[in-house]
Amino acid sequence: MGIKRLKMPEYKLGDKVRWHAAALGTAFKEAFFPLTVTVQYPRERRKFPDNFRGYILFDIEKCINCWQCAFVCPANAIRMKEAPNKKYYPTIDYAKCIFCHFCVDSCVGGALRATKIHDVAYADVDEMLAETEQLMEPPEILREDKRYVEYVIEEDDVRLRRVKGQDYLVAEPPPRREYPMVCVCEDPESCTGCGTCADVCEHYAISISIEGEYKVIRIDGEKCVGCGLCVKECPLHVLKLVRR
Amino acid sequence: MAAVSEWRVKLVGRPSKDVSCPSIVKTRVIDTGLCCRCMACMAACPAAVRTGVGFEFEEREHVCVDCEICVRVCPRLDYKPLSGVGSYIEAVAGRSKRFEGQDGAMVTEILISAMEMGMIDRCIFVGRDEEWRTEVFHVRDVEQLEVPTLTGTKYTFAAAVPALREAVLNTKAGVGFVGTPCMVSAVRRLQKALAVFRRVKLVVGLFCTENFYWEDLIPFLEEKGVDIKKLVKTDISKGKFIATMTDGVVEFPVKELSKIMPSGCRFCTDFSAVESDVSVGSVGSKPGFSTVLVRNENAKAVLDYIRERGYAEFGEVSLEAVERLCNLKKKREANIKEAMQKGD
Ligand SMILES: Cc1cc2nc3c(=O)[nH]c(=O)nc-3n(C[C@H](O)[C@H](O)[C@H](O)COP(=O)(O)OP(=O)(O)OC[C@H]3O[C@@H](n4cnc5c(N)ncnc54)[C@H](O)[C@@H]3O)c2cc1C
Ligand code: SF4
Ligand code: SF4
Ligand code: SF4
Repeated sequence: MGIKRLKMPEYKLGDKVRWHAAALGTAFKEAFFPLTVTVQYPRERRKFPDNFRGYILFDIEKCINCWQCAFVCPANAIRMKEAPNKKYYPTIDYAKCIFCHFCVDSCVGGALRATKIHDVAYADVDEMLAETEQLMEPPEILREDKRYVEYVIEEDDVRLRRVKGQDYLVAEPPPRREYPMVCVCEDPESCTGCGTCADVCEHYAISISIEGEYKVIRIDGEKCVGCGLCVKECPLHVLKLVRR
Repeated sequence: MAAVSEWRVKLVGRPSKDVSCPSIVKTRVIDTGLCCRCMACMAACPAAVRTGVGFEFEEREHVCVDCEICVRVCPRLDYKPLSGVGSYIEAVAGRSKRFEGQDGAMVTEILISAMEMGMIDRCIFVGRDEEWRTEVFHVRDVEQLEVPTLTGTKYTFAAAVPALREAVLNTKAGVGFVGTPCMVSAVRRLQKALAVFRRVKLVVGLFCTENFYWEDLIPFLEEKGVDIKKLVKTDISKGKFIATMTDGVVEFPVKELSKIMPSGCRFCTDFSAVESDVSVGSVGSKPGFSTVLVRNENAKAVLDYIRERGYAEFGEVSLEAVERLCNLKKKREANIKEAMQKGD
């Protein structure tokens, strides 16, 4: 393969002057009326939205032990660990977590919540496994700029204005749209009556009794919290969650 | 279907609550030798799904949750032996132009065509490993058939029926199935007992005189001088078992295999898979062609599709040969009476 030499195009002097003037003009405009800005992180940082997907906090009071978070986690970062009260609670391995917050979104009891804490540093990989207790309190914040900067575009003259403010990293999450769910059987003809659902239900919402020649399965809508555990465990997938 | 929060399941009426379901199946089906290894009992067993236990009934007894479904679906409990050619609306010989198989590869052609038509979106094939152990494959795309061992007959039992559970739970359109007559009957029982299995939309039955346990057949063939690693095809034709290897052929009269014939097959009278949607076998047509018995409109639609596209060539069948084998198998009825008495 031979080498092809590119020839320098020849410009007229008039064109050169015109282009240089245009470039200088743009530089001048950007210096005084900038169209883009650079946030000088970490000296300053932007304001994060209240539903920012950062460090996850856990409220043990609200956990119903449904394991939904561990099932839904696509990174397998959540492991359920037995507590002294014989119940299982989540631990999060931040070495695996991809901050998708599927766990937060799917938490039935609303026990998991998002914070804006994002600059978390660890000394080694083992430390990255956050035990349940650790998840219940926000981590110690050593250095965090309480102040943020925000650039807002003025309505009248379309100019960027720099606004400073105070940010709280553990903000009240925006109210969730709640869809109260309840479990029903959509295919009773495929039920074997194995009782797996009644077995796994933490709230004793499903009962099975023998009445004459039949096994009768009842779901108590009052007790069902809509966690979906039975739906997942039924070997023939006959149950489903519906909106109340 | 309407969703409900209260429903009921009919109990089978066991003599007493103390008699466990696996023990009923064990004493009346396994111990009497009636079991045909169709594995319908495993396909539906919730305890097997949750704990991963295998076919052994002793093991299953430990994990049993007393649901009775194994009793409801076992085709050999309250066994109603079927026989004869059965009803059919068309009988032809066919050879696929697209695939290669045991005979005319019509089984493969029918299943793949049904998939192209959208009648089903997946089907269960029985392949094998290098040692000729059967392996079950969920075929969802014709490209998977590039594995050449997926077509062709393996004369050993396969766990295709238990694989149906996963298939029916995941299908959108429907599932295609192929198996021996006992497996076809097992699928029908499952469909009667549990609605999810009605998503099996096309059941292809294979003609069958007998099948073997892998543990028995392989040593037998090795003794006959077959190198299993080099074995590429097994066939039963004109009273001979023919093992074709890459470097030679071993043949012997099929009668010699009768000493390793499983007892479940001794009680089986169904040669033509009476309960299938379409049955396929080798007897009744020229070498290289499969005999196809179309039993209902559903299967007819698939055959019409194949004809329309010219995917196969067709020929004449001689049903006398099929009838002769059906009658021969019907004679096994005598064995059943004996076993049933023993079980009661
Ligand atoms: C155990 C057994 C005994 C048979 N006995 C006879 C007989 O006595 N007389 C006769 O005419 N025909 C018999 N057949 C049928 C015959 O061998 C061919 O399978 C049939 O003619 C179809 O040929 P094909 O080329 O159309 O099928 P192919 O297109 O080659 O497809 C064959 C299909 O059979 C399936 N299969 C292979 N082995 C098994 C297995 N062990 N269990 C379940 N499915 C399996 C594969 O998944 C494959 O899809 C028997 C088949 C089997 C499996
Ligand atoms: S787990 Fe499913 S099959 Fe078993 S009893 Fe409950 S609904 Fe029926
Ligand atoms: S769990 Fe049900 S299907 Fe399984 S062995 Fe027990 S009764 Fe039979
Ligand atoms: S005949 Fe089939 S369902 Fe009955 S015990 Fe044997 S493998 Fe199970």
